Amino acid sequence: MSEWIRFWIVAVLLCIGILCYVLEVVGIFRFGYVLNRMHAAGIGDTMGLLFIVLSLMIASGRNLNSLKILLLIIFMWLTSPTSTHFLSMVEMRTNPYLDRYVSRRNAS
Amino acid sequence: MSVETAYQYLFLTALIVLGILMGLVLIRSIIGPRITDRILCINMIGTLVICSVTILSRLLQEGWLVDIALIYAMISLLTVLILASVYNRKSPGPEKEPEGESLPDQPEQAAGEGISYAGERLSAASDPAYRVKEDAYE
Repeated sequence: MSEWIRFWIVAVLLCIGILCYVLEVVGIFRFGYVLNRMHAAGIGDTMGLLFIVLSLMIASGRNLNSLKILLLIIFMWLTSPTSTHFLSMVEMRTNPYLDRYVSRRNAS
Repeated sequence: MSVETAYQYLFLTALIVLGILMGLVLIRSIIGPRITDRILCINMIGTLVICSVTILSRLLQEGWLVDIALIYAMISLLTVLILASVYNRKSPGPEKEPEGESLPDQPEQAAGEGISYAGERLSAASDPAYRVKEDAYE
């Protein structure tokens, strides 16, 4: 019986994670510019990975595998904002028509 | 129906949905208008592959697949950083745009002082943390 309770917890968390990924892909298609699409891509990098990894940790029990999965999510949470920040810096540096999409108060 | 077969059906369904999402992101990377769209889609495909590999490690009961997911995370970060630093060049400016074709939503800014370079605007920002070294990549 307790196995089935654990299974349903795993199923619900996994479905929430998959739903976050579906929202991410919908946002990728619906937004109109790269800097908006980065906002949508951040959902899957943080919440989708969190819920899927949490469900897999519950499913695999108290193992060394759970520790490695926890290490994976810590690593992804450190590196995903880094790559997004660098990518947005590249976009702001290389796009000559940035004023069409971005309105900034300090623009000269 | 035992618990283990239920787990197998659940993880198989999750893997199929993640594969469909991966194909959609690949379509987005093909139709993306700029190069940063494509790099962003590469990053998203990397995250989806990491999730798929961790689900697969539970499905096949193989512990070493989590190590492969860790290495894939490192390689995904390295891919994005290297591709972004390859394309990190200062833009040549909007001279190629014809004059009559100004933007409809902000007409006063296009008619008044024109559009300056992206690099100049970044170096002229008031926050010193966002200043970009001009000759770092040239």
